[in-house]
Amino acid sequence: MGRNRAIKEFDPKRPGQPLDLFEAQNTRLPVVLELLRSPWIMRASDLPPRPIGAGKRVEHEVDVVWDGTRSCPASFTYAGRRYPVDALVQTWSVERSWWDLRTRMSRRCFRVLARGGLYDLAYDRIAGRWLLTGIGD
Amino acid sequence: MASFVHLHVHSNFSFMDGAADIGALIERAVSLGMPALALTDHQGLSGAIRFYRAAIAAGIRPIIGAEVVIEAAGTLGGEGDLPPEERLPVPAPVGFGRAAGYGGFHLTLLVKDMTGYRNLCRLISRAHVRSGDEASLVGITDLEALSEGLIGLTGCPGGEVGSAVLAGRPGRAERALRRLARCLAPGDLYVELMHLLTPESPRYVSGLASLAERCGLPVVATNDVHYTTADRFRLHDVLASAGARTTLPGPYDRSNAELWLKPASEMRRLFSGMPEACDATLEIAARCDLDLGLGQLHFPSVEVPRGETPYSVLSKAAWRGLEDRYRPMTPEALRRLQHELAVISDLGYAEYFLVVKDIVDFARREGIRCSGRGSAGDSIVTYALGITDADPIAYDLLFERFLNPERRQMPDIDVDFDSRRRDEVIAYIYDRFGHDHVAMVATVNTMTARSAVRTVARALGHPSDTVNALSRYLPWVRASRLAEVLETYPECRDHPLKAPEHALLIELASQLEACPMHLGTHLGGFIITREPIDTWMPLQWAAKGVVVSQYDKDDIEALGLVKMDILGLRMHSAISDTVAMARERAGESAVPEPFELDPRDDPRVYELISSADTVGMFQLESSGQRNLATRLRERTFEDIIAAISLFRPGPLEAEMITPFIRRRHGVEPVTVPHPAMGPVLADSYGVILYQEQVLRVAEKVAGFTLAEADSLRRAMTKDRSREEMESIHAHFVDRAVALGTTPEVAEEVFRQLQGFAAYGFCKAHAACFGVVSYASAWLKAHYPAEFVAAIMNNQPMGFYSPRLVVNDARRHGIRILAPHINASSAEYRVEDEGGAVRVGLKDLLHMTSRLLAAIERERAVRPFADLADFLARTRAEEPAAESLVRVGALDGLGVTDLGRPPTRDEMLALVPELKAVIARQGVAGDDTLLIAPARAREREDAGHVSGWSPARRVGAELELIGLSLTAHPLELARADLERRGVTWARDLPRLSDRTRVRVCGVRERAQTPRTRSGKRTCFLTMEDPTGLLDVVVFEDTLGRYGDVIVKHRAYVVEGVLQNNHERGLAIVAEKIAPYVVRAGTGAPVRMRRGVGLGPMGPTRPGAGAPEEESWEHADVYAEGG
Repeated sequence: MGRNRAIKEFDPKRPGQPLDLFEAQNTRLPVVLELLRSPWIMRASDLPPRPIGAGKRVEHEVDVVWDGTRSCPASFTYAGRRYPVDALVQTWSVERSWWDLRTRMSRRCFRVLARGGLYDLAYDRIAGRWLLTGIGD
Repeated sequence: MASFVHLHVHSNFSFMDGAADIGALIERAVSLGMPALALTDHQGLSGAIRFYRAAIAAGIRPIIGAEVVIEAAGTLGGEGDLPPEERLPVPAPVGFGRAAGYGGFHLTLLVKDMTGYRNLCRLISRAHVRSGDEASLVGITDLEALSEGLIGLTGCPGGEVGSAVLAGRPGRAERALRRLARCLAPGDLYVELMHLLTPESPRYVSGLASLAERCGLPVVATNDVHYTTADRFRLHDVLASAGARTTLPGPYDRSNAELWLKPASEMRRLFSGMPEACDATLEIAARCDLDLGLGQLHFPSVEVPRGETPYSVLSKAAWRGLEDRYRPMTPEALRRLQHELAVISDLGYAEYFLVVKDIVDFARREGIRCSGRGSAGDSIVTYALGITDADPIAYDLLFERFLNPERRQMPDIDVDFDSRRRDEVIAYIYDRFGHDHVAMVATVNTMTARSAVRTVARALGHPSDTVNALSRYLPWVRASRLAEVLETYPECRDHPLKAPEHALLIELASQLEACPMHLGTHLGGFIITREPIDTWMPLQWAAKGVVVSQYDKDDIEALGLVKMDILGLRMHSAISDTVAMARERAGESAVPEPFELDPRDDPRVYELISSADTVGMFQLESSGQRNLATRLRERTFEDIIAAISLFRPGPLEAEMITPFIRRRHGVEPVTVPHPAMGPVLADSYGVILYQEQVLRVAEKVAGFTLAEADSLRRAMTKDRSREEMESIHAHFVDRAVALGTTPEVAEEVFRQLQGFAAYGFCKAHAACFGVVSYASAWLKAHYPAEFVAAIMNNQPMGFYSPRLVVNDARRHGIRILAPHINASSAEYRVEDEGGAVRVGLKDLLHMTSRLLAAIERERAVRPFADLADFLARTRAEEPAAESLVRVGALDGLGVTDLGRPPTRDEMLALVPELKAVIARQGVAGDDTLLIAPARAREREDAGHVSGWSPARRVGAELELIGLSLTAHPLELARADLERRGVTWARDLPRLSDRTRVRVCGVRERAQTPRTRSGKRTCFLTMEDPTGLLDVVVFEDTLGRYGDVIVKHRAYVVEGVLQNNHERGLAIVAEKIAPYVVRAGTGAPVRMRRGVGLGPMGPTRPGAGAPEEESWEHADVYAEGG
């Protein structure tokens, strides 16, 4: 089985003991040790602080051409490539943590259909710039 | 159709969940060209009447409504009865207390017509006024029964339908929707769509729209408006957080800021696929056509005998009363009564007078002292009925000032009752008119700078210590002045709010100017209605445990309902107590009824008043009045009326006192522009002091009727436009010129009237108060001991602290006997044939009513022999027993093996030991205390039975009972003060004007009234061992020493003495330094009263007020005995 054998072999559906995950200490310890050693598991408290609502998303600054008549982006340029907006799917706004300058977020978001998929564009009202906050393809 | 009407709007009357001012909402709706606007505050209509009036004035249609919390419609029972996976999240309660409602879902109700209005009032009242403590919730069956005239909208995402759609439970949503639709008339329920620009909004809107289609119900678009413009969202978050007692982001954790009053174009763009939802707003607005019939008067019903009308009953009673009041009867009184009765009959006010008479008659029957106040004193009818006590003919009081036949508005008769027995009067009102027809008037408590700072600081998550520190020393000013006050007021010199990190806090707090926080209960306002009261206004429980209307006095007046002020006046209780004590000592017939003294010309009374010896006297005791007395030198009852009127905000602002005094003493001549004004203004030396004089001048100079003259006075008083004032001006001058006056003189008379009309005082009010003032002065002059005992028994009352009242009595030769368990009762009592007053025990720190009763009961059996006897027989609690020992109430009892009574230290050491012995054995062992003074301190003062030094005794007295019985605290430092060249208060009158003096006193009051110039002047009243000191601190000095005044209790003041006719006796301060009295040990003598802590916090109101003594900066020391 290789790495993390104890975890992979652990049977959570044992009959007769619905309340306890582990039969005894000797069966629990190897699982806990493997969990603690695993590089892909992190305690929530160890996570670096990030702006509320931003999650772990990566955001890229983009150039947007604004369509004043429809009140939505007409096109945006990302990684040197221009993406004309085919349709506006949804729009929403975000206003969070206004009392804390470090974590404040004030955005107007647009989910648009453009070539290659669905893109979330956000206008950051504090910095006055456009961000690409998500891609769904 | 491109317009839109907002039908779901919260103002700041959604207490702590709305950041929109009603005026601003209407202004914005008008500027956006909207034809109507709704107001749907949470759980009530508190802002509805002012909204209704303002909207009509602004030319748009008001739609009154409310967002109520209603029980679940889509399931039987509450949410808690469902299995967890089927429950919907119920919305968080909004605002404070049970009125906020919890456990149900939101529903928006709009009023179509008067039936709908009455039903909505009833529905809200039923939700609020239920027995028990459960949160206010509208019942589905109540809605079903009272839905006529109402339009329902399904509410925000906190509504049951919206909540079920968001939770993905369409079945529950449909059940709820169909149930709600059955409650209302067909076509009266709309599915409310809100596109709040959150990621869920499209799903929410489309889910609701398809549900509406399935159920065959119309849809309507709203925006859940909570603030006028987008930039105010922060205030809403702050208020919601503070209201829910949590920190930001608050109970809703809103993801954006879209709840503003959006223009029609924006709303139509949000609902571009559903224009019918926006069109429905206009259709609903057209259907809501409420006419509240403002301007009509609605009197309560009064029972009259068969064959009589209210008017006939009133008129007979008035004629009978007139015969009693005027002996012999005068033709003028007859004419006057006839005239007034005719006016009352024409206006149809007889029922109102009968209601007041009924209540006053009850009080008289039960021996509850009462007296009318205010402009009602202008009427001979109220005088004849015994409601007021000042003769309107003798004092030239004008009926038209009270009831103007030209203006049909609700008369207002305010009556003061003996405050201790006010509850009996209130109970009578409920019994007499029915519990369904009486409610108390609400007051809207709004934010000041201090509460705004506290609200924002709490929301921003500051801990309570920081919140206290940030709001401490802030003066009571409007929130919008916060930044200015912090910058300019001396007491805010080092204020922590000035730190740069609090800039956001100040910015937000300033915007909370006058924001309503919660409903309070008016001090004594009662509404009495003919119809059941809950068809007129929503009712709810007040914190005091009484049912209170959601409307304040202005709303009640606008609706034309009868409001009566049943006010409690402690002076009435004190006068009644004085009379009772005096009659007990001197005999029943020796003491006349003080309100009926006639003529009011006792020289002893005027001697007291004119020598400013007025502590305890009603309306005449303040420092300003005492200063005025030294200049005015009152000689007649008219002078008392003048004194009461002169020291009022209006006359003070118009600076009437100086010309009045100068003319009275012949320093400047009495001049009037028109000869007819001479006799009218003779009493006030040509100064237009009384409002009644304005009427008389207009009558005599321009030939106005008194009714016209009153309309003129009112026109001058209110803020008028320039054009309106010009037209009034021209009218007055034309009439005067037509009567033969020259235009120049007419202009001058008008100028004077215009200058003084707004500042004059109602003479009838002053005369009514004058009767009480004279009665209190007469009692002080003739029965001083009884008077001071009565004042102390009715504390808190009056201008001064109990300490000063007692010191003042002592300066008048009345011995103040220290409290003692073998002599004191709960109350203060007169002893030694009026020569002494024994301090009562009720105000002692930690005293309990159980112990007071036990002391009286046991003492009636036999006196207490010693501490052990006392503890064994009364089972006194330890803190109370220690207080009694420390204040000296057990001094001299018992004997130790040294052959002398134990000292206070010895007794204190024994209290726990004796308590333990008593608890174990049931008795304390020996009958007499024969225990060696072990473990106790050495006697500090062998000459006194307590063994304590005077400084320690004074400190304990001040701490425990708030009095200084042993000596004035500054007496302890007499030697030091004399060495410093301090002049005593008693010696000041002998010094000449403009002498430089140095005085020292303990602060009694510090007032900074508003002046016309806008400058801040502090009037500081201090007391030294010999009397009172009045110090004036002008703005520049206040700027330098303001923080000293606020932060310390005793000061040395250097300045210049004023001692002349014009300005009276006062010290103009130039330098103020704190002064600390220290005992021989060097410990400061604390001057603050101790505050006991009960389960609900401090046991004395006002405790914890931002006032601290700080000893560090005091550079002056004194040694105590």
